[in-house]
Amino acid sequence: MGELETLRAQVEALEASLQAAEARAVQFEHEAELQHGRATHLGARLNTLLSISAALLISRDVDAIVQLVVNEAIGLFPGTCAAHLFLTEPETECLVLRAAAGAVERRDSLGLARMASIAPRAMLLVGPELELALEQLDPYDREALRAALPLWPPSSALISPLRVDAQRLGALVLYGGTNAHLYHPRDLPFIQALGDLTAVAVDELTQRARAAALQRDLAITQSLHAEAQARLNTAQAQLLQSAKLAAVGELSASVAHEINNPLYAARNSLYLVEQDLPPDAPQRAFLSIAQQELGRIARIITRMRDFYRPSKSELASTSINSILRETLELVQTHLRHGRIHTTASLDADLPPTIAHADQLRQVFLNIILNACDAMPRGGELRVTTQLLQARPEAPATIGVIISDTGVGIAPEHRPHLFEPFYTTKPQGTGLGLAISAHIITQHGGRITVESEIGQGTTFTILLPVNSDVQDQQS
Amino acid sequence: MPPRQIHIVDNDPVAAMITQRGLQTMLGDRFTVSVASSPNAAWLACADDRVDLLIVDPSPHVGGVISLVRAVRTFRPSIPVLVLTAYDTPGLRAKMRELGVSAYVAKPVDLHDLLPVVTGALAGMPPRLASGPSLATISASGIVHGK
Repeated sequence: MGELETLRAQVEALEASLQAAEARAVQFEHEAELQHGRATHLGARLNTLLSISAALLISRDVDAIVQLVVNEAIGLFPGTCAAHLFLTEPETECLVLRAAAGAVERRDSLGLARMASIAPRAMLLVGPELELALEQLDPYDREALRAALPLWPPSSALISPLRVDAQRLGALVLYGGTNAHLYHPRDLPFIQALGDLTAVAVDELTQRARAAALQRDLAITQSLHAEAQARLNTAQAQLLQSAKLAAVGELSASVAHEINNPLYAARNSLYLVEQDLPPDAPQRAFLSIAQQELGRIARIITRMRDFYRPSKSELASTSINSILRETLELVQTHLRHGRIHTTASLDADLPPTIAHADQLRQVFLNIILNACDAMPRGGELRVTTQLLQARPEAPATIGVIISDTGVGIAPEHRPHLFEPFYTTKPQGTGLGLAISAHIITQHGGRITVESEIGQGTTFTILLPVNSDVQDQQS
Repeated sequence: MPPRQIHIVDNDPVAAMITQRGLQTMLGDRFTVSVASSPNAAWLACADDRVDLLIVDPSPHVGGVISLVRAVRTFRPSIPVLVLTAYDTPGLRAKMRELGVSAYVAKPVDLHDLLPVVTGALAGMPPRLASGPSLATISASGIVHGK
């Protein structure tokens, strides 16, 4: 009997233990399910974060990034009734709402954004802490937030600064809608991660935009530099050309002067001999040749002498339009015979300029006659003047453009056009354009040429208005 | 009536001789064309009123010619001065214009183009250089440029 009682008591104890064990097993099973559910949820959240990070890395648009973040935040944090993302404007350093989800978008409402942006890390606000934060808002701001949220007051809030290193880029603010889904401290690493991802993506885009702007600036600077270099090269080439012309001018004028006396004596000796010859003397033919050739030398000498610079005493207020009209008048017959149609478009508002009228006439005549030579079967000669002035305070320049529809100038000849004694004409002296360039340079101007074979040639002469021409050194 | 006197001052003896022979031939016995041995000799002749026309070439290599022109224009303004120069420059032209010479001709000019300028100067035409814009220049091709 005693043994039976003992055994019964042991069985009851064992049953109690079994029940307790079963209860613990149920409890463990429940706990395991809970943990499994949490792990699954965490896995899903991590997957979402990974997807967001992948999307953020390939996105090239800030608006698209911030909108993606707020949309995903709604799903990532259940119970969220509104998600706001603010970015700091670089110029004003003010927070500006850039994206919102689950709420009426009120750009005038900062809500908890200011607090979020200066927070050292992500924060969870619930209960009295949240109430205090909302109370501390500016009344107008609080009313704007109330109007923006679908539920008021929010049950909880998750806030995260958007920050890269020490640079504050903005804030992410999530408002919880119902008490059933209060945010939990375990949400903090996720919102912190989301905030960090957003900050890195926005910063990268900002840096990329800055780099692109710098690259553009660099390209513009390089282009300006290249332009300045080209201008410098042109100026150096013109300076060299001018120096060459000045040297040639000095030399040729000196030679011309020394030749004038013997030439004068030779020509007039022949003249005196001719006076004593009978009209039918056979020597007359040779005398005539000698006189013609001496005349040719005289013309060359005269042109060489033209390298001299004008003296100030011969400079006067000059109308470029008048000189051009006179020159066209002078060659009118020549143009008509050459079947060359002339169009003159002269700017009536062209101011007079201080210049040597005869020399400019010589330049225009030379270029117009060259144009005629370039149109042996006729063509069109266009003469245009215009006043060029970039800004009212900038120095004015007179532009004279003389263009023809002639045969054009071969590219290999163009660099040498203004060199003395360079000519492509069998009877040319090679001094016409060299003298023209010299004269224009001495007037403080510039002469350029553009030409295309078979299309024609355009000479552009730029003369400063009221230029200060250097004094004659004769 | 004694022949009228034309004096030439030119440092180039051949050019001076051609001017003298040419003008003498073309002007005939009514004129005596001679070459002065120096600017000073020409001045002495002018000072003695023995010159009706002075033809000068103010060479940069020989001094005294411009002084001669200045002296004649100052002390014997009735004697016309013709500049016949191989050293034509805008600067020389301006200087001669200032001194009020009668005519300015650049060599190499043909004698038959020079003749009317000489006869014009002798005829006592008003100085063509004195007023500046009326400066007449005969170029190598014989074209008269009114200045």
